[in-house]
Formats: sequence, C-alpha cells, structure tokens
Amino acid sequence: MKDTFSPQSVRTSNDLPLPIIQVWDGVLVLPLLGALDANQAQDLSETLLRKIVETGSGVVILDVTGVPSIEAGAAKSLVDTVSAARLLGSDVLIVGLHTRTALTFVHLGVDPAQLPTETTVARGMRAAFARVGLEVVARKSTIAAQPGVAITP
Amino acid sequence: MNPLPSEQRVPIAAEVDIILARKAAREAAKALGFGMVDQSRIATAVSELVRNVIRYANDGQGEMIVRAIRDPKRGNGIEIIVKDDGPGIANPSEALRDGFTTGRGLGLGLPGARRLMDELVLDSGLGRGTTVTTHKWCH
Amino acid sequence: MMSSVSIVPIEGTLVVTVRGDLADQDATDLPNVLGDALEVFRARGILLDLSVVETVDSFLGRVIDDIARLTRLLGARTVVVGLQPAVAITITELGLQLQGVATALNVEIGMSMLRDVIGRQYQ
Repeated sequence: MKDTFSPQSVRTSNDLPLPIIQVWDGVLVLPLLGALDANQAQDLSETLLRKIVETGSGVVILDVTGVPSIEAGAAKSLVDTVSAARLLGSDVLIVGLHTRTALTFVHLGVDPAQLPTETTVARGMRAAFARVGLEVVARKSTIAAQPGVAITP
Repeated sequence: MNPLPSEQRVPIAAEVDIILARKAAREAAKALGFGMVDQSRIATAVSELVRNVIRYANDGQGEMIVRAIRDPKRGNGIEIIVKDDGPGIANPSEALRDGFTTGRGLGLGLPGARRLMDELVLDSGLGRGTTVTTHKWCH
Repeated sequence: MMSSVSIVPIEGTLVVTVRGDLADQDATDLPNVLGDALEVFRARGILLDLSVVETVDSFLGRVIDDIARLTRLLGARTVVVGLQPAVAITITELGLQLQGVATALNVEIGMSMLRDVIGRQYQ
C-alpha cells in the first residue's frame, strides 16, 4: 500500500532539514519556519524542483505562515523558484504571507498575478485538489463520519 | 576536487565553437566541484558571451580562457575570460543593461551572463576589441 | 538537423525530441521545419521534449518562444516537457520570459493537455 504521507527531509547547506511532504498524488507541501535568508532560499529552490520532477507533482504549497521575515534576496529567489517550477509544469502556491513578508515582495516590484497565494493551508489544499482534478466528497453518513464524535472501542 | 591544468584555451572562430566552449566550461566547472545548477549557469553564461563574439566581432575571431582561481576569503572558483579583436563596444555601460542590442535579439546576452556569474567585468572600447572577465565561486 | 531533432507523429500530435546540443543554424531552422511538419502530418499539436537539453541560452529560448507563437498562429499548440531543474532555474535567472510557452511535467500530461485544448477548438 502506498504511503501517501511521507515527510521527506532534505538537508540544505546549513544542515537544516527541508521537510517536503507529499500529502497526495501530485501535491507537495513545504512548511518553512523561521526567518528566511538568501542562501536557504537558493538551496530550497534546487531541492524543491528536483522533488517536483521526482514525484511528478503539479502543485506545491509553500507555507510561510511561520516565517516572520524574508530577506530581499530570499524573496527574489522564491519568485524565481515559482517561475522555474512553472517551466517544469508545476504551480507553486505561497501560503500564509503576513503584511511584513508580503511587503518584501511588493518592494521587489513583483507582479501579484505572477505569484499565486492563499491565506491558509486549508485554502491552499482546496486549490491544489482543484488543480489536480480532485474533489473531497462526504461519505454516506454514519456515526463514525460525524466530526466531533469520538468512538470509544 | 580535481586540480585543473593551469589554464584551458578554446579558440573562437566559428559557430560550432559556441558548443565546444560551453562544453569545456561545463567540464571545468564539474571538475572544480560546482553543482549541477552552477554548471548550468556557467555553461549558459559562456554560451551568451561566445555567441556575442561570433555575431558581433569582425570575422568572429576570439578566444576563451578557463582557469581555476582561489581567493583567501571566498575559496575556490572558476575564472572565464572571453575576448575578441572585434570593433569593440562604444558604450560598455550601456551594453550591460537589459534591452541593449546591436542586432536582432532581446539583448539579454551580456546582462544575462552577469546575472548568472558572481562577477563580470567588461573591458571594451571602439577599435580595441572586447574582453569579458567573469568569476564564479564554489559556495 | 535530423541527427539532433526527431519528429514522430502520434495521434495528431508531433512528438519532437531535441537531442542535446543544437547548432545555431539548426535552431534557427526549427520553427520553419516544425511549421511545415504540422501541415504535412496534419497535426494540431507539438510536444516539445527538452529532457536531454543541458543548456538553454537566450538564443534557444527565443527559438522555443518562436515555435510556441508560430504554432498558435497556425491553429495548433505547443507544450514543452522535460526541462531539467537546473535548466529551469538558469532560464529564470537569465531573465527569459517564455510566458507564451505552455509546459507539462511529463509526456502523458502534455499529450492530455494538447487533447483538451485541441478538443475545445471543435466545440
């Protein structure tokens, strides 16, 4: 049986693991934590693009909810990563920008139309599923399928 | 990392030399320990610079020189010099800006090469040919 | 050119594989050759496989862009597949726009995209 939830840790030159998670066929999630500098962004780029090709993923959710600040050079790198991914046939969705991190991109002169974003990972997932041609459908109702109901054995 | 022979020279005389030059640059970069993406950047920068010689220098005659270099602060790197005895560029600083072109094209060659390499110095003037010196450091 | 570019007609699409380094003259001729091939094979799509191409500089980038535009004007579509990650990064840093060029992760997806687009033209 295929393991569809397999965190793949890849080391960057700083030796920090890069958790690229395949959450579904064709959908990758990369949650980043902490401030992002230019070197990390460069390493991230190559690693992520290879993973995209390796897994054949049409969508990547790049979650920066936990990133308080992005260096200008890092932001430029991210924009380039989005463009490069598009050249491979994959869409990178940036999720969780705050005012401060969003402003870094604004100051770079980025065209928002070229940098798709969503506010939350949940929204990102919905967009990702739509992009790969999937939708989540509720099963026929049973007690077990009710949210908020815990079954004790 | 394998040491390079002290320097490699590739003559630039015909279109086929564009491919030969970038192959030589890529091999040298690989031997110096540059990763795949840097090899690609270096090969592409060379392609741009050597094509400029073929297109814009008289008779398209020139030379590419590849050397291993070392800097106390930055470590190991590669130096690539592309020069020709062509008519020279009247306005070198203009040539480094995107969009400048002396013929059909997008004018990305020289500024593009500068973006791909870590350092690029353009030495040119009317009647004295052109020498482009570039460096890339192993990160 | 035939030693560096192969053209195989499959299901109304031309699968064009560029093998390694393309000499400048062959690159310049390519849009012409493909335009004629579309007609000869009555194809409506081109799948341009660049998986073996190690270097895409501004010259080749322009050729790829030209192919995409030309096929569009001829009532067909081009999809590029197989770009290597290192090449994709380099193209982006070089500043090549290539905005009119559609891309797909692999041959299956590319063929499927072409079928969709060509199919829609008949509705």
